[in-house]
Amino acid sequence: MSDINFRLNGREVSYSGSAADRLLDVLRNTYLCTSVKCGCKEGECGACSVLIDGVLFNSCCVAMGAIEGAEVVTMEGFRETRRFEVLDRAFGELSAVQCGFCIPGMVLAAEALLSQNPQPTEEEIREGLSGNLCRCTGYNAIVNAVGLAAKEGKGLW
Amino acid sequence: MVNGYSVSSLAEALEIRSSHSVVPYAGGTDLMVENRKGVEYLFLGKIPELRNITEDDEYIRIGAAVTFTQALEDKKVPDLMKEALKRIAAPAIRNAGTFGGNLGNGSAKADSVLIEFVSDAKLRLASRDKERIVDVDKFYLGRKKLDLGEDELILEVLLPKTGLDRYSYEKVGGRNALAISRVSFAGIFDEKDGRITKLAAAFGAVADTVLRYKDLEETMLGKTIEEARELKEKYLESYAERMVLTQGRVSAEYRKNVCMNLLGSFLAKFGI
Ligand SMILES: Cc1cc2nc3c(=O)[nH]c(=O)nc-3n(C[C@H](O)[C@H](O)[C@H](O)COP(=O)(O)OP(=O)(O)OC[C@H]3O[C@@H](n4cnc5c(N)ncnc54)[C@H](O)[C@@H]3O)c2cc1C
Ligand code: FES
Ligand code: FES
Repeated sequence: MSDINFRLNGREVSYSGSAADRLLDVLRNTYLCTSVKCGCKEGECGACSVLIDGVLFNSCCVAMGAIEGAEVVTMEGFRETRRFEVLDRAFGELSAVQCGFCIPGMVLAAEALLSQNPQPTEEEIREGLSGNLCRCTGYNAIVNAVGLAAKEGKGLW
Repeated sequence: MVNGYSVSSLAEALEIRSSHSVVPYAGGTDLMVENRKGVEYLFLGKIPELRNITEDDEYIRIGAAVTFTQALEDKKVPDLMKEALKRIAAPAIRNAGTFGGNLGNGSAKADSVLIEFVSDAKLRLASRDKERIVDVDKFYLGRKKLDLGEDELILEVLLPKTGLDRYSYEKVGGRNALAISRVSFAGIFDEKDGRITKLAAAFGAVADTVLRYKDLEETMLGKTIEEARELKEKYLESYAERMVLTQGRVSAEYRKNVCMNLLGSFLAKFGI
């Protein structure tokens, strides 16, 4: 039986556990990527969002066997990028972060949106973040922060 | 890999499906929430034959492992289907969820399946030794019951290419807290030389399977709009008599009213 090989934040890794294991649990427990949060394990909250080959997924709804050969990016990897810096500054400037639990997921959802659509309208931002729940901010500050990042980071996406 | 099979061709997948007890895994959005214990998955995501959208003279052919996001970006997919796909959950779910998975769940709430019912779509299924095509309404045998052999996979959805342009689509209630009150409706109308040639109506999420009454639809075929308008009240009554809704937390009667209103507005949209 061979291991499951994939790239995690740019590093080649191989996982020897079960193909049926949840990506969310493996990221947190085996690879200690604790930016990936667990809010529901039902695909409803987006706290567990990751990028797989650049596309947004809820890692609670992904089995390890499905990511063989894929590139997985969590906040631990994304925070090394220039795009992150721009998003980070925008979130800070507009006080878009309160408890922070939803934020890694929000930022990755924003990254997924902006890489598809670098100049989204407010409505498109809301749609892009619609799978990510936030119990604190009331969303407006987050939506504005993504809009600001799109403006400030022109050319990056 | 342990507890799973990753395959890269359909032939390989069908071979494993016929020789092992495996659960087909496409996007995982239903399976991972169900969280079944002790199963072995057969991962379908890397099978090129299941990931394409193609067309022939009669059909748009959507591979079982095509995701909703992929279909939304494809010009070949009819607007009526896109209308339903757009309203499925959020981006991350649409990036993962597939047509085969929507069918494979056997749920009357599956939004792409409602469109397949109303448009008389067919499904192509295969096992290692045999391939067959079934009408989608014959594939659904009842709640969570499908006409799918233990050794079979869903390969494609065959969606008719023409006749889907004049439609109504409505989805009432969200999936989260409001899921219990959800009703979905799709209707297709067509006419030729002033006479009705199609009046299809399908209701999702209200019973064990998608509801559609072809015999009632037929009573309107060949009628002029004028004639249909006169028959409308009786037509709605016959639907009301036939529709038996499952009792959910929100009363069946309330949801039936919603269904009748949606049907009524669909008819009105086309002058009936
Ligand atoms: C938060 C959330 C919101 C959702 N919202 C909606 C919604 O609005 N509308 C809606 O319709 N659905 C919704 N769903 C349900 C789900 O996303 C869909 O049913 C989706 O189409 C499932 O596809 P999948 O590829 O993820 O299926 P999987 O979980 O991979 O599989 C589902 C079932 O189908 C079987 N299967 C998959 N592919 C095949 C095949 N090729 N041949 C045979 N069997 C197969 C599997 O064995 C399994 O039994 C939602 C789910 C979540 C978690
Ligand atoms: S933990 Fe995955 S969506 Fe909530
Ligand atoms: S900041 Fe607390 S959940 Fe979003």
